[in-house]
Amino acid sequence: MTVTEQEITDYVARVRAALADLTPDRRDELTEDLADHLTEVAAEGEGTLVERLGEPETYAAELRAAAGVGVGGGRNLDQRVATAVVRARGRLRAIDTRLGPPLGYETASDFLRLLRPGWWVLRGYLAAMLVTVITTGGSFGLLPRFGGELLAGLIMLVGFVLASIWLGRRSGQLSRWPRSAMQVGSAVLVVFALSALMQAEDRMRYGDYGYDPTSVDNPYDRIRDVFVYDSEGRLVENARLFDENGNPIRLGYPDCKELAEAYANPVLRAYPYCPDRAPFGPRGPGMPARPTVGPQPTDTSTPSETPVVPTPTSTPASPSATPSATPSGDPTPTRTS
Amino acid sequence: MDTTQLLKGVLDLAVLAVLREEDGYGYDILRRLREAGLEEIGDASVYGTLRRLFAAGLLTTYVVPSETGPHRKYYSLNAAGRDQLTRSGKLWRSFATTMDTLLDDRGLAA
Repeated sequence: MTVTEQEITDYVARVRAALADLTPDRRDELTEDLADHLTEVAAEGEGTLVERLGEPETYAAELRAAAGVGVGGGRNLDQRVATAVVRARGRLRAIDTRLGPPLGYETASDFLRLLRPGWWVLRGYLAAMLVTVITTGGSFGLLPRFGGELLAGLIMLVGFVLASIWLGRRSGQLSRWPRSAMQVGSAVLVVFALSALMQAEDRMRYGDYGYDPTSVDNPYDRIRDVFVYDSEGRLVENARLFDENGNPIRLGYPDCKELAEAYANPVLRAYPYCPDRAPFGPRGPGMPARPTVGPQPTDTSTPSETPVVPTPTSTPASPSATPSATPSGDPTPTRTS
Repeated sequence: MDTTQLLKGVLDLAVLAVLREEDGYGYDILRRLREAGLEEIGDASVYGTLRRLFAAGLLTTYVVPSETGPHRKYYSLNAAGRDQLTRSGKLWRSFATTMDTLLDDRGLAA
């Protein structure tokens, strides 16, 4: 007999291991005679069991199929959960060892273990910030404050960080409930940190810290009146402004009483509303307002501004009164081909 | 399609038929099946089938002590097993005849 007792025992053990997902009763029922049967097989031939029967796992699969037992059939919930946990742990361990080398460590958990003191410090800071948010009612910056007090906040920060480190170093000695409480607390802090981070990110991206510097200033808002001058420097009265579509351009507002009465319809009003306030020309800005619309030259006023004002009495509203405008016209440019 | 696949459906019948002539223990049954021409049959398949038929109440077992080797567990047909064998045998013959006719009609040689 070339097959030893030990070989048979091992073979049976491996077959049973491959059927581990069955209920114990079912598995025993399937394999109770297996050792005897294998002894029989061993007695009547040459070679090892594996050579004659194949691998125990293959044997188990064939046995399962022939006996009409499906994979995972007949298992209760506890066993299924246990199997799932074992499988998940195995998978995690595989990921752990696979991620290790790229990080320069045997396993990823070796690397993460080195970061633990860093987490303890961060945990203390997060706890201080949580207290800051609670005591100051929502608004917070980067430094902890206790009820708005920065110094008290900093003292609290130091205390919390030291406490967190102390707790971290002794977490292995804690009994079950304190440890669970600490884990729940850490989870709360992580959630708080993530939400605060999102909030800060939003504020940074939109530059919105409560002050909105956007300008709604219109450069023409401060204009009260419009004064049109011709090329001779004479004030054009009763001028009207239009845009390219023919719509009247309304700027400023008439605050000369006599004019407001004269033109009841605001659309019909022409510029300037108040000719007395013209910044240049014969009418200096410092001149007192006159009741008459027609310009009355004063002899000595602002000689430097417009020296060429020969006939200020003529109605300046008519453009034909200024012959000097025509020479400025360009010569016919059609010659150039 | 190889014999293994065909065997799956009729292994019960084969085992029952082999046990009809004489009681037998696991390895003995396997050997008889192979001698009958089912050479591709696997040890685990026969063993598993025996366990299933036993669990279904078609077989009874008894242990025979042996001086030279290990004790042997013998399987034998009981009344339910014989009944099952008769019914399955008829079903198989009818099915085999149908298949034979189907193949004959299409000129496939045996």
